[in-house]
Amino acid sequence: MLLQVKNVALSLKREGKYTKILDDVSFQVEKGETVGIVGESGCGKSLTALSIMRLLPEKAKLEGSILLDDENVTEFSKRRLEKVRGNQMSMIFQDPLTSLNPLHTVGRQIEEALILHTDSNKAERKRRVIQLLKEVGLPRAEDLVNEYPHQLSGGMRQRIMIAIAMACHPKLLICDEPTTALDVTVQAQILDLMNHLKQINDMGIIMITHDLGVVAEVCDKVIVMYAGKVVEQANVKELFLNPKHPYTKGLLESIPKLGKRKEKLGSISGMVPSPDQMPSGCRFYDRCSKKMDICKQEIPPVQEVGEDHITACWLFKKEVEEDDTSRSKGFETTLHH
Amino acid sequence: MTLLEVKDLKQHFTIKKGFLGEKKIVKAVDGVSLHIEHGETLGIVGESGCGKSSLGRTILQLLKPTSGEIIFNGKNITHLPRREMKTVRKDMQLVFQDPYASLNPRSKIRSILETPLIVHGMNNKAERMKIIESLIDKIGIRKEQLDRYPHEFSGGQRQRIGIARSLTLNPKLIIADEPVSALDVSVQSQVLNLMVDLQKEFNLSYMFISHDLSVVQHISDRVAVMYLGKIVEIANVEDLYKNPLHPYTKALLTAVPQPDPTKKRERIILQGDLPSPVNPPSGCPFHTRCPVATAECKTEVPELREKEMGHWAACIHVQPAQLEKPRLIIS
Repeated sequence: MLLQVKNVALSLKREGKYTKILDDVSFQVEKGETVGIVGESGCGKSLTALSIMRLLPEKAKLEGSILLDDENVTEFSKRRLEKVRGNQMSMIFQDPLTSLNPLHTVGRQIEEALILHTDSNKAERKRRVIQLLKEVGLPRAEDLVNEYPHQLSGGMRQRIMIAIAMACHPKLLICDEPTTALDVTVQAQILDLMNHLKQINDMGIIMITHDLGVVAEVCDKVIVMYAGKVVEQANVKELFLNPKHPYTKGLLESIPKLGKRKEKLGSISGMVPSPDQMPSGCRFYDRCSKKMDICKQEIPPVQEVGEDHITACWLFKKEVEEDDTSRSKGFETTLHH
Repeated sequence: MTLLEVKDLKQHFTIKKGFLGEKKIVKAVDGVSLHIEHGETLGIVGESGCGKSSLGRTILQLLKPTSGEIIFNGKNITHLPRREMKTVRKDMQLVFQDPYASLNPRSKIRSILETPLIVHGMNNKAERMKIIESLIDKIGIRKEQLDRYPHEFSGGQRQRIGIARSLTLNPKLIIADEPVSALDVSVQSQVLNLMVDLQKEFNLSYMFISHDLSVVQHISDRVAVMYLGKIVEIANVEDLYKNPLHPYTKALLTAVPQPDPTKKRERIILQGDLPSPVNPPSGCPFHTRCPVATAECKTEVPELREKEMGHWAACIHVQPAQLEKPRLIIS
């Protein structure tokens, strides 16, 4: 097991008091596996990534454990973290222009990771930088080393970001919306490159995105998050063919699909509750089309609904049927949908 | 009946590099011809920098066209004086991409919606309120919420307010420039559904500009694909998506990630990026990235021609099917 995230909760200080942003997030990443985290803005997917990297604000309260190769990242010292970041795990951000330093050449920015984490000399580093640029599919690598980010296009900048992240052969690569700022034809190039790099380096990838198309194309396993909680987790085929949680279903129905034209798209009414006004029961209660009384009062437990398929929804709790016979009919019919 | 006709429209911007630097011309829109019927939705797709937004703004005359003609409702509006243009603008409205930036943060929703009516001379306050109240009812915003400020609404609600604002004057044409790109998918579908409903109710025509091919397919009747300021293909939505003719359209369609993990499609991966519009390639603008380009493509500028019934493409390698009478100009 490469990465084990167990019961992670994150609270951030806002206007003097702590608000819980992430609640009981657990998942695992194996070597050579791509795990997608999907959800709408504000669901906590980026903060999950930042928690793993420990790139959190000073006053953040992080609970639970994050095991990278069986070592708990939440207990690492600052110095230890500096050794791990960019070395064993690295991260790619959404906007390559703001993530690169406009005042340094591309070559220098890639070299930085090598200076920090390896004992190589200048000539070796230069060779490695050029090799990296070639690996990420950039043309004229020798000249590119001396160019600045503003001279490059968006797709090329994202390739530079990937080269920086790959410099020290990380075991874990976290990508936060890596293709959202790019055009579709360039996005296709980048996704292709990432798949290729994963295969040759045998690393684990966490792919954070709101685009279910990207998830279907590159991920092995998917985690669906809503309002700071994991609501469903399954392997990619299972999730798309047999979604269980009403939120996942709603998401899948709301995207227009190429080749299939419908009169009306499905949609989820309402909006995500703000973190300081979380409902006490299921967080999706207000927007759910299948809500029951119990959902309002009690947090739905995570339960298995298939092989490697878990969801947190009262609809799938067996006891409900037994406890409340008057409901059970309605429950049956909803299951058949 | 044709509502809008655009003939050989060009929008060239001059940019100067540095002090005393040489002047360069960006051909943002370079000879675009198209038409929109009453009640029809024309989708415009293309990558960033292809000129799709400039095209929308030029049609609205927010940018003065370099050359070409814009005929709206049977009237040539290309060289109308300002005052006359104002009355025409009542009938053509714009919906913007960013619902956060396009609503004045210091105005209440009531005044945001009222302003267009005041500008166009509706002086009776009670009448204005009647129009506004019937409109917000359709977009799912309550009457009490009229006295709130934009920041009190979510992104989806703000975009619906933006749409309501464009409808206050009862326009015929709405140019929507990436209206759902800033929204989450579940909210995006709410806004798209609303736009479809409003179109039926008010018999609106839409020009729907977007980079998202799935969204465009969902909402459009016809679709035009743009590349470096030119339309490379235009056809009915079914024809374009089922039977794309231009190599660029083919590549675009295969590049879109599909939310279906069981489908593994042959993907055409285009090399490189969109060339700079300051210095577009000679001949066919797509030849630098085209998988089927030949030597002729470098020199010969392909014309947009009807290759199949109602299906136009600008590529010399696409052979026209047997048409009764091949047409040269879109009519």
